[in-house]
Amino acid sequence: MEQFLYYLKVSLKSIRRAPLPYSLTILILSLGLGVFFANATFYYRLNLDPLPHKSDKLFFPFMNLVPYDCQNCEPPNVLSYSNVQKLGATDIPSAKAAMYSADGYLRLTPQQPPMPVKIRLTQPDFFRMFEVPFLHGSVWPDASARAEVILSRQTAEKLFGDTNVVGRSLTLDDFEYTVSAVLADWAMLPRLFDANNNNHLSEVEDIYLPLETGYDRNYLSNSQSSSFQDADYRKLATDGRTKAIHQLQFWVQLDTVEQQQAYRQFMANLTADEKKAGRHPSAINNKLVGMRDIVVHFNKDGGDIKAFALVTLLFLLVCLFNASHLSLNRYLSNQYEISLRRALGASRWHIQQQALADVLLMASITSVAALLIGYSGISLMNELLPANRLFSSWDWTLLLSLLAVTLGCSYLVTLYPSLRASFGALNQQLKE
Amino acid sequence: MIQINNLSKSFRTELIETQALKNIQLHVTEGEFVALTGPSGSGKSTLLNVLGTLESFDGGDYLLDGQSVKGLSDKALSALRNEKIGFIFQGFNLIKDYSLFDNIELPLRYRGFAAAERKRRVEHALEQVGLAARRDYHPSQLSGGQQQRVAIARAIAGQPRILLADEPTGNLDSLMARQVMELLEQINRDGCTILMVTHDPDQARRAGRQVQIVDGQLSDAAMYDPLQHASPVAVA
Repeated sequence: MEQFLYYLKVSLKSIRRAPLPYSLTILILSLGLGVFFANATFYYRLNLDPLPHKSDKLFFPFMNLVPYDCQNCEPPNVLSYSNVQKLGATDIPSAKAAMYSADGYLRLTPQQPPMPVKIRLTQPDFFRMFEVPFLHGSVWPDASARAEVILSRQTAEKLFGDTNVVGRSLTLDDFEYTVSAVLADWAMLPRLFDANNNNHLSEVEDIYLPLETGYDRNYLSNSQSSSFQDADYRKLATDGRTKAIHQLQFWVQLDTVEQQQAYRQFMANLTADEKKAGRHPSAINNKLVGMRDIVVHFNKDGGDIKAFALVTLLFLLVCLFNASHLSLNRYLSNQYEISLRRALGASRWHIQQQALADVLLMASITSVAALLIGYSGISLMNELLPANRLFSSWDWTLLLSLLAVTLGCSYLVTLYPSLRASFGALNQQLKE
Repeated sequence: MIQINNLSKSFRTELIETQALKNIQLHVTEGEFVALTGPSGSGKSTLLNVLGTLESFDGGDYLLDGQSVKGLSDKALSALRNEKIGFIFQGFNLIKDYSLFDNIELPLRYRGFAAAERKRRVEHALEQVGLAARRDYHPSQLSGGQQQRVAIARAIAGQPRILLADEPTGNLDSLMARQVMELLEQINRDGCTILMVTHDPDQARRAGRQVQIVDGQLSDAAMYDPLQHASPVAVA
C-alpha cells in the first residue's frame, strides 16, 4: 500500500510538471467516454430484459389469418377478436391474455373536470404473466365484461388522494365503474408486451379495463387497427367480435419446451383447419415470437440508436487514439526519469506498476468528468427525443460498467506509452 | 569480483557498424579502485555501462561474483543493479523536483526496504556526504559539488559492493572535484569497489589501478592482473 501511495505521489509530480498535456488527455478521453456513456445508457436501457427469469417463456403467436390472399405477406402485427378466440382455445399455455390500449377521460364526479388517461384493455392473466404487483384489491375473477377498473398507484393518488380506494366509484367516459384493485409501483421498461409502433418506449397505462368491457363500450385502439372487407373499426361494439377488425395483441405463457412445441403444433393444426374451411386464403406463415425478439419482429429495434451507438463508438476510438498520442508525449518527456529509475533498480514491472497508478489516477478524474459530460448528453437527448426519457437513468450495474470502461480506456491510453518508455535505451536517456 | 572475458560490443545504424569494445579482458577484485582512462570515444563509458548492465554486449562474457549476467531476465538485472551496483553520473542525474531525501531514497524504494530502514539509510548516506542538514533541500538549491555528493549518497545508500562513476568530477571546478575524489576514496577505503571513468590524469593516478582504453581495446598495461600484482589503494 505504501509503495502504491508512492506511485501515486510520483504520478502527481509528473502531472504537475506538465499539467496542460495531462489536462488535454483527460479532456479528450472524458469527451469520448462522456458521449459514449450517454449513448450506452440508452442502449443498455432499451436492451434490458424486463423479466429476465421469464422472458423466454412469453410468446406472441402470429398467423396469416386474414380474409385476403397474399402469398408473400408477413402476418399482421395485430389480431382480430375471432383470431384471438381461436388461438386461445387450448389449455396448452399456462396463461394467455389479449390486450390493446385506448384513451379515455376519468373523473370522480360528473362535476369534476375530466382527466385524460391511458387505458389498457386486457384480461386477468395479463397481470400474472407480466408480474404486475398489486397494492390493494385483486384482479378480476374472469375475463367477462364488468364495470370494474384497476388503477395505477399514481392515478389513484391523483384522483382520490389515497391508494386504498378499492370499492370506490369513478366515472370513465360517462360510465360509472368500481375500483377493484390498485397496483403498486410498476414500471416495466421496456414494455415489451406492447412493442408495436414503438409503444414499448412509453410509460405504463393509468387504468386497466376488462377487454370485453372495452369492446362493449366501443373503446377504439389508440395504436394500430386494421379492418378488412366490410368491417368498420369504428363499430367495435357491434362488429368487433365478429368481423375482421384487427387491433389486438395476444400473449401466451409457455413454460416448457414441450409446451412450446405443443403450441406450435396447435397453431399448425389450426391453420390447416382454417385452410380447409376456406378462411385462410393466404400462404401459411405461422410464427411464435418470444418476448426478447418481439422488438426486432416489429422492426422497431431502435435503428437510430444503433447507428448513433456506432458513431459514438467510432468517436470514442478517435478520442482514445488522440489521448494515447498525448499520453505517449507525456511519457516520452518523462523518459529521462523512467530511465533513471530503471538504472537505479526499477524493473519493467515496477514501471508498469507506476503506470497502473497513473491509470487509476487518470480513471478517477476521467470517470467524474465523463459522467458529467454523459449526464449533460443525456439531458440534451431527452430534450431532443422525449420518447427516450424513460431510458436515461443509471443504475449500479450500468455505473459500475461505465467505470470499468473508463478504467479499461485509461489503461489502453497508458499501456503503449508506458511500455515504450520502459523499453527505452537507458544509457542514451541518462546522457541527454 | 568482476571478470570480463573477450567482451565485445558494437553499435549498428542502417549504414555503419561501429565496434565500441573489442575483446575486452578485465579482472577486478573486491575493494579495488580502478580508473578507466582513454581518449574521447575510446569506449570507456560504454565499458562502464556494460559493467553496470545499462547496456548489453554482443560477444564474450561478463561475470559478476562468478555469475554470468548474460541472459539474465530484466527482473534479475534490475535487482542486480539495485543491490550490487551504485551509479554516479557526470550530470548527477538527480530529479529536480524531489527533495534530497526523496532522491536518495529512490533506489531503496525498489529494494523493498521498510520506511524506517529507508530513512535510516538515507540519513546515514547524507551524513557520509556531509549534507545531513539539507535533507529537505531540492537539487537546484545546491552547488554542483553538493549535487554530486547527493548523487554519491544515492549511490551508496543501498550499500552496493561496486560503485560505477562516469566522470564524476567532469562538471565540477577543481576544489569541488577534489572534495568528491576524497569522498570516493573514503568510500573505497570502507571496502567498496570503484570503477571510475575519467579524463583527468591526476585523478586517474589517485586510483589504485589505471586501465586505459584505446579504440575499444584495453592497452597492454591494462591487462595487468591484480591477483598477481598487489596494488595499494591511492590515498590523497
